[in-house]
Amino acid sequence: MTLFHFFNCAILTFGPHAVYYSATPLSEYDTLGTSVKAAVVYLATALVKLVCLATFLQVSETEVFDPYQEALKAMIGFIDVAGLYFALAQLTHRNISQNHKFQAVGLGWAFADSVLHRLAPLWVGARGLEFTWDYVLQGLEANANLVFTISLAALGSLMWLRKNKPKTLIPIIYTCAVIIATMPSITSYLRRVMGWHFPKVVGFELMTSLVMAFISCQLFILCQRPSL
Amino acid sequence: MADEKKSKQRDGSMVFESMYPLLALMLILVACVDLCDAATVVDVYRLVQYDISGVPFGSRFSSLNHHAASLSFQRGADLSRSVLILPLRELDLGFLQDYISQKQSLGGLLILLPQTLRPGNIGGGSVLSETQGFRKLLAQLEKLLVHGNIPFPVYFAFENEETDAMLADVKKNDALGQQATATTGGYKLVISVSEPRKIASPTITNIQGWLPGSRAEGDSNQLPTIAIVASYDTFGAAPALSVGSDSNGSGVVALLEVARLFSTLYSNPKTRGRYNLLFALTSGGPYNYEGTQKWLKSLDQRMRESIDYAICLNSVGSWDNELLVHVSKPPDNAYIKQIFEGFSNVAEDLGFQVALKHKKINISNSRVAWEHEQFSRLRVTAATLSELPTPPELLESAGSLSDTRQLVHDDAIIKGVKLVAESLARHIYGHQRKDIKIFADDSSLAVNPFNVRSWLDLLSQTPRVAPFLSKSEPLIMALKKELEDYTAEVSVQHESLDGIFTFYDSTKASLNIYQVASVTFDLLLLLVLGSYLIVLFSFLVITTRGVDDLISLFRRPPSRKVKMV
Repeated sequence: MTLFHFFNCAILTFGPHAVYYSATPLSEYDTLGTSVKAAVVYLATALVKLVCLATFLQVSETEVFDPYQEALKAMIGFIDVAGLYFALAQLTHRNISQNHKFQAVGLGWAFADSVLHRLAPLWVGARGLEFTWDYVLQGLEANANLVFTISLAALGSLMWLRKNKPKTLIPIIYTCAVIIATMPSITSYLRRVMGWHFPKVVGFELMTSLVMAFISCQLFILCQRPSL
Repeated sequence: MADEKKSKQRDGSMVFESMYPLLALMLILVACVDLCDAATVVDVYRLVQYDISGVPFGSRFSSLNHHAASLSFQRGADLSRSVLILPLRELDLGFLQDYISQKQSLGGLLILLPQTLRPGNIGGGSVLSETQGFRKLLAQLEKLLVHGNIPFPVYFAFENEETDAMLADVKKNDALGQQATATTGGYKLVISVSEPRKIASPTITNIQGWLPGSRAEGDSNQLPTIAIVASYDTFGAAPALSVGSDSNGSGVVALLEVARLFSTLYSNPKTRGRYNLLFALTSGGPYNYEGTQKWLKSLDQRMRESIDYAICLNSVGSWDNELLVHVSKPPDNAYIKQIFEGFSNVAEDLGFQVALKHKKINISNSRVAWEHEQFSRLRVTAATLSELPTPPELLESAGSLSDTRQLVHDDAIIKGVKLVAESLARHIYGHQRKDIKIFADDSSLAVNPFNVRSWLDLLSQTPRVAPFLSKSEPLIMALKKELEDYTAEVSVQHESLDGIFTFYDSTKASLNIYQVASVTFDLLLLLVLGSYLIVLFSFLVITTRGVDDLISLFRRPPSRKVKMV
């Protein structure tokens, strides 16, 4: 019975990644290698982040929102962006178009993130007898995270890989990238200071992810025009 | 170029439109099942399980793993895989009696008691009136459960917010006719303990304290002895809750206080009387006073013959105006007359009454209702001082669930102590008919109410069912130490409780309450997720490869068949 629930939550958390890979032309061009490389880069980045957090952050007993601590966490969050830059720009990929490159990198990144953050709690918790909505919400959060990561990868590829961009769009690109990169800080702020419960936070994340995806899609299209 | 942009925009809006019904469905799902808390854990206490000569009594099972049900279930519903939750306030004794006598199968029974009956709870007066109404109901319930053979686990628990919330939920579901099973969700109650085993050789421990009198010129063994006896162990429906404040915590406290007073008197050789005093705390009281019998038999023959008379104390904690003296020898016996006169003179001075009650011993009947009967069977004069008007039945009035601290009045015990101490002292020092108050208040020999209260509080928080007390139980050590302070010689006697009683362990457990979702919910969720993934798949194929690709995914097999032909 409860293994059933675990299975449900697992396909909610990891299904969209598989579906994304198989549905888009990524599978046709066999970009699995790129995704795997991106996942490895994510692991390395996560390790570096952990070390930095352990060194610089003080653990507070209460759930108080400390602006200084949160600012520190956000700065460490930018290591994420650096890792993504490394995966996009520095790694040598086979000759795949830019369009597919950012998708593959974003997919591998998001998959590694989901596995690392959500598989263990799912395995331990969702098999129990007690039913909670937590794991379904966690799966929805994983979906939102996938969309966020792919949008961030798209904006990243725009920032670093495309040289000729319309001048007016550059600030928009950068602000959107900053918003997506600081998403974890924003959610923790909502949870602690505003006192939002988990479902509300997940709903907010889903909405924002769709909005950001739409915006980055538009930006990508607009930037693609001059090259045509 | 423009067309591409338009199609992309249309696809973008399609994203939102396709998401709407999905989101609406998820919102409906969320609204159907309430957001629930984590599992709760409650302490529960099992009904006693015992055999008398091989005949089983009590609840025969201990582990539990069923759904919760309440009394508002539909008539005729099958409860064999449910646990019935009964708060004491809504107890329907007739229903329960029918269930047990007709041997209908039930998954389990959980009885919720009000918090005021909790052993550590020393509530105020307003609470007392509420619990008075429950006491009678509780007594009847206990009688039914203790003397019945119940083939399902029965547990007692105290009400708290979590159980109240769960019960309200279960009632609501039952009223709607949704019997909680694997397919309809609800609450699951799990107690995972091993099956109860027989307690191999339960020990009963008697503690005796010897306070020698002053010898004149002869041997001290020829000094007469007066014995004060009280049994300290209890028996009740839930052994882990049997604190027996009145039966017989009050007797123990009275004995300890009398011992303290006489130890003060006897510490000075000038005031030491010409009687030895023997204080005994016996065990095995509810089981026909087996401990007292064994203790008496273990006494030296000379010592036993030197006992002038014995006073047994049983339930002296909740009386007002009249205390009863129960005897087995006929009232016109000289010794009995003497004892009773002593008591009534003191009682008159103290402002209450004593009455004499005579009950003949039936040698052929093995039932020993009063402790003094064990003395009488060995030809020792004895009487029991008690507030109980009638002899208690087997395993009754020995520490039931309702016998908590609030039932006992401290001043009743203090009056009892004064009665015993004064009458003893007048007998020992030969002041039978004089108007003397030896243990007057405000004297150095006054009864200490704080001592009484602190011992009573301690005993009211310690369950004392003999088979579950080990040889070195802290309470036994404490009683021994207390008697050592007051008397000259203390000896502890361990006996095994053989005979017709057999007990089983597992008296306390933790109940886990889980809120579970039904199979239909899981299936529904699977359906929703499956359709979500399919929609996502088709959306991605359409946006990245075009609608033709999606259709071609489904068209491929037939075209191949055509080619083969």
